[in-house]
Amino acid sequence: MARFLTVRIGLLLVSLVGASLLVFTVLAVLPGSPAQVILGTQATPASVRQLTIQLGLDKPLWQQYLQWVGGLASARLGSSYISHQPIGAQLVQALQVTGPLVLLSLVVGVVVAVPAGMVGALRHGRLAGTVIGVLSQIGVAIPTFVGGIVLIILVAVKAHLLPSGGFPGWAEPGQSLRSLVLPAITLGLVEGAILTRYIRTAVMEVLASDYLRTARAKGLSLGKAMRRHGLRNVLPPIVTVLGLEFAGLIIGAIVVENVFTLPGIGTLLLSAVQNRDLIVVEDIVMLVSGVVMLVNLLVDLSYRFLDPRMVRRT
Amino acid sequence: MSGRGRKAALSAGAVAIALTAAACGGGSSPSGRSTAPTGGGPLTVASSVAPPTLDLTSNPAAAIDEALDYNVYQHLVQLDPKGHIVPVLATAYSVSADGLTYTFTVRSGVTFSNGDPMTPADVVFSLQRAMAPNSTYPYKAVLGGVTSVAVSGTNQVVVTLSKPNNQFLYDLAAYSNGVVLDPKAVGTIATAPVGTGPYKFTGFVPNYSLSFTLNPSYWGPKPGVSSLVFRYFPNANAENSALQSGQVQVVDNLPNPQDVSQFKGNSAYKVIAGPTNGKIQMTINNSSGPLSHAKVRQAISYATDKQAILQAAGAGYGTVIGSDTVPGDPWYLPSLAQVYPYNPAKAKQLLTEAGYPSGFALTLTLPPYGYAQTAGPLIAAELNAVGIRTTIKNIQWPLWISQVFLHGDFQLTIVDHVEARDVGNYANCGYYWKYAQCSQVASMLSAAQAATSQSGMVSGYQQILTKITAAAVNDWLYNPDQITVAKANIVGLPTSGRTESFDLTHASIGGTVSAQAQAQGYSS
Repeated sequence: MARFLTVRIGLLLVSLVGASLLVFTVLAVLPGSPAQVILGTQATPASVRQLTIQLGLDKPLWQQYLQWVGGLASARLGSSYISHQPIGAQLVQALQVTGPLVLLSLVVGVVVAVPAGMVGALRHGRLAGTVIGVLSQIGVAIPTFVGGIVLIILVAVKAHLLPSGGFPGWAEPGQSLRSLVLPAITLGLVEGAILTRYIRTAVMEVLASDYLRTARAKGLSLGKAMRRHGLRNVLPPIVTVLGLEFAGLIIGAIVVENVFTLPGIGTLLLSAVQNRDLIVVEDIVMLVSGVVMLVNLLVDLSYRFLDPRMVRRT
Repeated sequence: MSGRGRKAALSAGAVAIALTAAACGGGSSPSGRSTAPTGGGPLTVASSVAPPTLDLTSNPAAAIDEALDYNVYQHLVQLDPKGHIVPVLATAYSVSADGLTYTFTVRSGVTFSNGDPMTPADVVFSLQRAMAPNSTYPYKAVLGGVTSVAVSGTNQVVVTLSKPNNQFLYDLAAYSNGVVLDPKAVGTIATAPVGTGPYKFTGFVPNYSLSFTLNPSYWGPKPGVSSLVFRYFPNANAENSALQSGQVQVVDNLPNPQDVSQFKGNSAYKVIAGPTNGKIQMTINNSSGPLSHAKVRQAISYATDKQAILQAAGAGYGTVIGSDTVPGDPWYLPSLAQVYPYNPAKAKQLLTEAGYPSGFALTLTLPPYGYAQTAGPLIAAELNAVGIRTTIKNIQWPLWISQVFLHGDFQLTIVDHVEARDVGNYANCGYYWKYAQCSQVASMLSAAQAATSQSGMVSGYQQILTKITAAAVNDWLYNPDQITVAKANIVGLPTSGRTESFDLTHASIGGTVSAQAQAQGYSS
């Protein structure tokens, strides 16, 4: 186990360094001088040069890279080129919105998908199974922003039940949760629809398996056989998909935050790209990459608990 | 230039032009600040683009000036919504006969929102900070003609120019260079702005909101609100929904003019539309190929139906201008809009005369702004109809800045030149449309700026406008309106977009606005 962990954490660090090189290179070749974008079209060339020097963008690329990575490694993120606000504080502020949003969406997705997927598999070929199959297809097909706008019109503008967007800050937790309900449903339903299809397939595979037939033959009821032998075998593929979906949720959050005007990581990333606030873009991409890699590591670790055969193999 | 997001372009050669220093100099006309609006309650204003920073001296983003200028920061002189210059932190000003020396009497008894007294030395500090060699003020070039700024006596500031410029007062009023800063608070200008205006900064959530209370030490009558919040909405649907669901009471400038139909005719809302300083134009690269021929450029102007473009892209809210001037400029000439009426047959004839009877191919580069995205395909169809085969290319704004604006790598593009009185761009030979006769315009401009009479100034500028219009340097489409939508009980809002600031000095919820403020262009 210790050896497994060491290797996996080593791989994670190598991946992070690779990601940092990739992110830095891509942004370095992105056209549009940050100083010119900041100062606009009215600025004199002398002002633009002056600002380029102030931002340190006149230095060789490898120096800029080392300075940035050094800051990341020592958790000194510095200040944004443009807002002059500390980046660490901005990220913390944005994570207070995106973190709860992603978790709530995950809850919504799982709460919808687990029963729907099970029913879809057990009632396969009958009315309930077909309805769930069709609904999940529709859920996968509808773009997040369309679902969000429909919810805003129905729930916020027409019925005045929940706010149409915005986020008051965690000083009033009740208000904040209320404003996350619609975004979490928007994002969670789409993820739930995707997850439903995976759960349905996994359960159907288990239902058709030899060991389940044997368990039934020994006299166990379907429910008992599923609980004792089936669920454990359904879990590994679903945990894998959940891990992948987690990355999907973070990407989906960028769209949903825009629709509901939430001041989260997605909004920060979009505005930073538009303003050529390169350090902020780089830091957010690294943060998201790190989180996704960590989730993947946790998924791999979870196999070892869900399926003891995996331990023997490594 | 460009959309709400970014102010743009202008005269690197500087010259944004202003009215009447000489003509109305010496005035100390009362500024209409005797109003004491009644009413109260928190006011929330929705806007579409969030300020990228709070430091308006480091970044030209219109969103910063919109919230902070005039509301938190004040100038010696400012513009009212009618576009007239009014004394604010100056009580009076005078101009010497040679047009080189401006003397301002600084208002006494004014304190910054942190309690520091505002002194003539602070005024000098602020202007010198903008002019300093290492300053990166976005409109630094506007102060290029200033040779010295000094305190005189106990309460006066004297500004000396190297050559006469009758636009100096306008520049000081219109551009954020003119803000008076507290030297002791300037270190935190990006995180905690401090000024002398009616509102005091309290908090900023990036990309989300900007909050203010009333400035307890404000020298004038306080606005009729208890607090002020600007809330930022990256998409227009969310902005309209927020107004309809009551989260905000004002949308300061509808990003899609077509959305007016959701509010017009509903007595719960009022729609306030008035001109901006913007010129939405199809910029033509004059430097090479067919576009270097005046007849080809004239043909393009004849081929575009500006009235139809205004209807489609601006929902009819705006004015067809036909040149680089907008209603409200002292030298505005409505007849320029009639120089190239929509006439495809005439366009084809001019193309034949220029030697292109079977047309040619062009690329129209579009930035991601609503007006350009709507007008672009229309114009491409109109140009195709006269034989100019037009391909559309969409690019992001930072790319537009580097490719189109800096490197001149374009043939046609559509952009809103939002800066006021920016005809000086035609005197700048390096400017991205590469006008061949820029040097002649430069000398005409110097003469117009040095004019000591109002009529001399007006005719000087009109000669420039007539010249660039005859050469069809660009295809000027229209001057868009600023469209504000508010709950019916909100008063004292600016009725035009002539100031960068969304000036809420006279705003009130359920109160009244004095006749004097109404005359200056604040809504009743």
